[in-house]
Amino acid sequence: MTVPPDQQAPGPARPTVDPITVEVIGNAMLTIVEEMGETLIRAAYSTSIKERRDCSTALFDIKGRTLAQAEHIPMHLGSLIGIVDHVLKRHPLDDIRAGDAFVGNDAYTGGGTHLNDIVIIEPIFYEGRFIAWATNVAHHADFVDRGHAHIFQEGLRIPPVRLYREGVLQEDVMEMILLNCQVPSDRLNDFRAQMAANRMGIQRFEKVCAKYGMDHTLAACEALLDYAERRTRAGIALIPDGSYQFEDGLDSDTFEGTLELKVAIEVRGDELFFDFAGNPPQVRSSINVVWTALLSLIYYAVKALVDPGIPPNAGLYRPIHVSAPEGSVVNAIAPAAVFSRTQVCQRLADMIFAALAPAIPDRVVSHSTGGALVNFSGINPRTGKFYVYNETVGGGLGARATKDGMDATMAHCMNGANQPIESLESQHPLVVERYELVEDSCGTGKYRGGMAVRRRIRAVDHEARVFMWGACNQTPPLGLFGGRSGGISRLEWSAGVTPPVGPNCIVPAGESVAVVSAGGGGYGDPGTRERTLVQRDLTEERISQSTARDIYGLPTD
Amino acid sequence: MTIDEAMRWRVGVDSGGTFTDVCLFNEGTGAIRVWKVSSTPDDPSQAIAKGIEDGVKRAAGEGAGNETDAPPQVTYIGHGTTVATNALIQHQGVQTGLITTEGFRDLLEIGRQRRTSLYDLQADKPEPLVRRDMRIEVRERIHFDGRVEKAIDEAEVRSAVRRLKEAGVESVAICFLYSYLDSTHEELVKRIVAEEFPSAFVSASHEVAPEFREYERLSTVIVNAYLGPVMSSYLERLRPRLADIGAIVPPHLTQSNGGVISFEAAQETPVRTLLSGPSTGVVGALHIGRLAGFENLITFDMGGTSSDVSLIDDGQPKQVSQATVHGYPIKAPMLDINTVGAGGGSIAYIDSGGLLKVGPESAGAVPGPVCYGLGNNEPTVTDANVVLQTLNPTQLLGGRMKIFQEDAKGAIEGLADRLGLDVLATAQGIVSVVTANMVKAIRVISVQHGHDPRDYTLVAFGGAGPVHAARLARELEVPRIIVPKNPGILSALGLLLTDLRTNTSMTRLLALDESALEPMAKAFATLHSQSADWFERHAIAPEARLLARAIDMRYAGQSYELSVPLPPGTIDATMLPMLRQAFESLHRQTYGYTAAEEPVQITTFRLEASGIVPKAALPVYPDEGADAGAAVIGRRDVYFPEANGFVTCPVYDREQLRPGNRLIGPALSDQMDSTVLVLPEQTAIVDSHLNIIIEVSPT
Repeated sequence: MTVPPDQQAPGPARPTVDPITVEVIGNAMLTIVEEMGETLIRAAYSTSIKERRDCSTALFDIKGRTLAQAEHIPMHLGSLIGIVDHVLKRHPLDDIRAGDAFVGNDAYTGGGTHLNDIVIIEPIFYEGRFIAWATNVAHHADFVDRGHAHIFQEGLRIPPVRLYREGVLQEDVMEMILLNCQVPSDRLNDFRAQMAANRMGIQRFEKVCAKYGMDHTLAACEALLDYAERRTRAGIALIPDGSYQFEDGLDSDTFEGTLELKVAIEVRGDELFFDFAGNPPQVRSSINVVWTALLSLIYYAVKALVDPGIPPNAGLYRPIHVSAPEGSVVNAIAPAAVFSRTQVCQRLADMIFAALAPAIPDRVVSHSTGGALVNFSGINPRTGKFYVYNETVGGGLGARATKDGMDATMAHCMNGANQPIESLESQHPLVVERYELVEDSCGTGKYRGGMAVRRRIRAVDHEARVFMWGACNQTPPLGLFGGRSGGISRLEWSAGVTPPVGPNCIVPAGESVAVVSAGGGGYGDPGTRERTLVQRDLTEERISQSTARDIYGLPTD
Repeated sequence: MTIDEAMRWRVGVDSGGTFTDVCLFNEGTGAIRVWKVSSTPDDPSQAIAKGIEDGVKRAAGEGAGNETDAPPQVTYIGHGTTVATNALIQHQGVQTGLITTEGFRDLLEIGRQRRTSLYDLQADKPEPLVRRDMRIEVRERIHFDGRVEKAIDEAEVRSAVRRLKEAGVESVAICFLYSYLDSTHEELVKRIVAEEFPSAFVSASHEVAPEFREYERLSTVIVNAYLGPVMSSYLERLRPRLADIGAIVPPHLTQSNGGVISFEAAQETPVRTLLSGPSTGVVGALHIGRLAGFENLITFDMGGTSSDVSLIDDGQPKQVSQATVHGYPIKAPMLDINTVGAGGGSIAYIDSGGLLKVGPESAGAVPGPVCYGLGNNEPTVTDANVVLQTLNPTQLLGGRMKIFQEDAKGAIEGLADRLGLDVLATAQGIVSVVTANMVKAIRVISVQHGHDPRDYTLVAFGGAGPVHAARLARELEVPRIIVPKNPGILSALGLLLTDLRTNTSMTRLLALDESALEPMAKAFATLHSQSADWFERHAIAPEARLLARAIDMRYAGQSYELSVPLPPGTIDATMLPMLRQAFESLHRQTYGYTAAEEPVQITTFRLEASGIVPKAALPVYPDEGADAGAAVIGRRDVYFPEANGFVTCPVYDREQLRPGNRLIGPALSDQMDSTVLVLPEQTAIVDSHLNIIIEVSPT
């Protein structure tokens, strides 16, 4: 029964809270992080935040356990779960005051997963007691035209330092950061939006404490973690016990050769054990994954596979155990470069699904697009100022047990939106020439994979520097249970462009480049696909005559 | 009053899935009558015509001094419909084709490329409403500055239109990049469709949503084209039926912005009627709130399967210019109505982690809650209220429906055992959880936009609204609740209170400085002349015309705009500092800060034109004193967690409550279609319009 807190007898330090109050406070926590996210997106300047929504907001307890995370970008959890530890390593608890705000991004000392994701975190005090953290991370469209042999080339490394001290902006720190950014005015305004989001979260959290009492609120948060743990365990328990493995290659424009990746999963009762032994050593390229990034991709995969409704908090992590060799590409140590870490993360998510496919065939999806990215930068001839345009390009998602994969969508750990053409062309000296689905890119199967995307962009009246990649140019997204692979990713360029060297390319005025993402893998034997669906894909020009005839066996004239 | 006046009726018809509500207002006597008939989903116009005809006859027959043979006259028809919404939800629009810029036919499917549900691997994007092979590209390209890089070729367009005609589409949508800046290419296609394929419904993006962001504009014009023929054929069936029953006045239809338009206008832009139903409830609530003396309102309409909430600030319902409706982004002026799947029929259950959840699954009207005894065994919100005895535990609908309280109790016991709570705590828990869901919905439209619920009054309506309002208000710290006299028919009543309204807009990206003045004046001149045409077409008398200007602005680097009202007056340099100041104060209210050194950018000019129609005036009754004793029809033991048990409460008959009567909580007021709950420590007073006003005590 719900009894108002003030009517309860004083008890031990941690009061028990009934399940209904827990549910009500849980709703309040989710509302807070969503409100923080809306504030950040609507006030921000960077296209990567305001249009692509490449940002996340969360609440943490003082020990750094996630209380709630907004549904934005799964990868960001990696930046968020790391920062509290690193703040506390540097700044003793009793040294932290209301109004302090820490900023950080370093993958090795700042809790980040790549330097563009800058975290701002601020403590929440109630009645003089430090009780939680409000935090958010946003992808700043900056640090472009850099090298990626090691992290020192990739941008400014910021350990967690105070950007505000008791509510006062530390101008020295801000100046130091802005001097190292290529578009400092946007950075300044993005930081303002990030601060506004945290302040909003703090006010809301204080109100919840005022309403339910601080002890009850904190006890309810604790109960919410237990609740998420129970739901996670209940979901894992439904997976048959056993050892499951998968190995697959990965290639991309950002490194030489093919990486042979491995995952081993043991399901034991209601717990999961992930072992990444045998993965290649870290490389001199942008794709290395740090520990917290690895964790965030695993948490994403488990939540998606066992129960998407589990509240996004630290209770989810408890039944999950991970080991990965230090210094490997999946658990990199300083000074490995990390900018394009999602390439490996996306493929690992595919592999976790594929490994568990024999155990839970109806829940998994086939391999999905490995991601594709294009950054343009240069001097905008209309303003004389340096500009940065960055875009992640969606592709085909893996097919499912009972339906086709989604076309032209962001997969797994990523979920950034695209930029409206009418908005980006007004802002940058660029023209989007084509933005389309790619015929025959969908892996065939009883259910086909999703279709890939081509985005073709022209530089107007200036020479642009371009950094672009597709992940899986030779190692396509695989199908499951007889489904075939999706189409591979690739780069295209017009006649006047010197062919790219790796991901780097110079695009003269009037010339264009295109990124083509990968398509999703199919699910099940293509021979068993319903004829009407094959015919429809053919009529709609999603597959070619030859695919319809040769793979699906559709009689043609 | 003349006899003639007494025979003149204004009619509001709200056509829903189960019932068609008719609200009648007599221009002479001021009498308001309500009539309900069963809906005819196959052809809703049947029930509408029958409802009006029967309702008017019955209401006229009741009138005294009715000895003349003069037949009753219908002088106004306002209509709210779910035709467009239902066709979109059920994907029952027509086969539609698209003509678009070369290179971009797949924009419709790519959308913004995000997953709608981050972790749900089985989720899908909304079904594209135009098949890929029905989306035809033509060579043309306009740039952000209005420069035409590639002119359009008439012959190519002609062959594209023929292809669509041969393919059998019924409707054609047209959307080119930057058509909001230069519409000549879209206009050319429109002309050729008229020549080559005159039977097709045709809709161009610059007409439906002349604003930037191509995907959202495309989605809007496609939904419009997809629904166009559906709305046309519906209205074409309805029009003669209305004529048959002697209604010679031009009927009006409500749009999503809470205003009404002519049937002809609704046929052109059905996409603007997607929230036709709920928006009328908001208009009704605003009117009731105003009469009671309150202009800052949160409307709370709780039905069987869902609740609609919205915010009215200073007498102005909050509007948005874009929202996602049933998965499709729509750029159209809409009241900012937030819908949650929480109603009286919402089902309570325990999830795999052991927490109590309510909804969005609903038992609907049939079989309905367990206590109806029609075969449902899963406990609902209504069952919880029956167990707590907030609702009458033996009968509902004024005795027309028997209630099986024991069955409801049995169903909730099942949950209670698993939660380790007793049945009453569990029933109260169901109410707490559903209240929390609605708190969340209201916070989205209030605090998320910088509005503090403590400054507002809650208007509770719909069958279940008045039952839950007291607890909801307490959670939100809303100080006051208004429960209208007829909470169940507020939407139909709203139809008699609605003005004609149209919103026009024009996107121009401009710096807020002297250079903006000329384009600003030009843009508003165009919008004003469009509105003048509209006034003429709707035959609105000059004294009934109202115009309101607004400008969407943002800091030059942002992507999201804030809409700032532009007061009347000549556009000159003196306006610039005023606009900047108004923008900054709104920015501070919304985000908590301003950026003094940053330039401000104009994005869109907006003009709202209203034609004020004469409205139903609700009768005023004299004060009859505080003593409500005469209205007491019994007592009921109601469970209150605050008291840790049952408390005996007086039950009042809503029909017998008189102005000035005071109700001291805990108390209940029963009426045919609802029950009003007043909590302990709350008091309520009946106002001169017979609304119940509850003063919410601070917790």
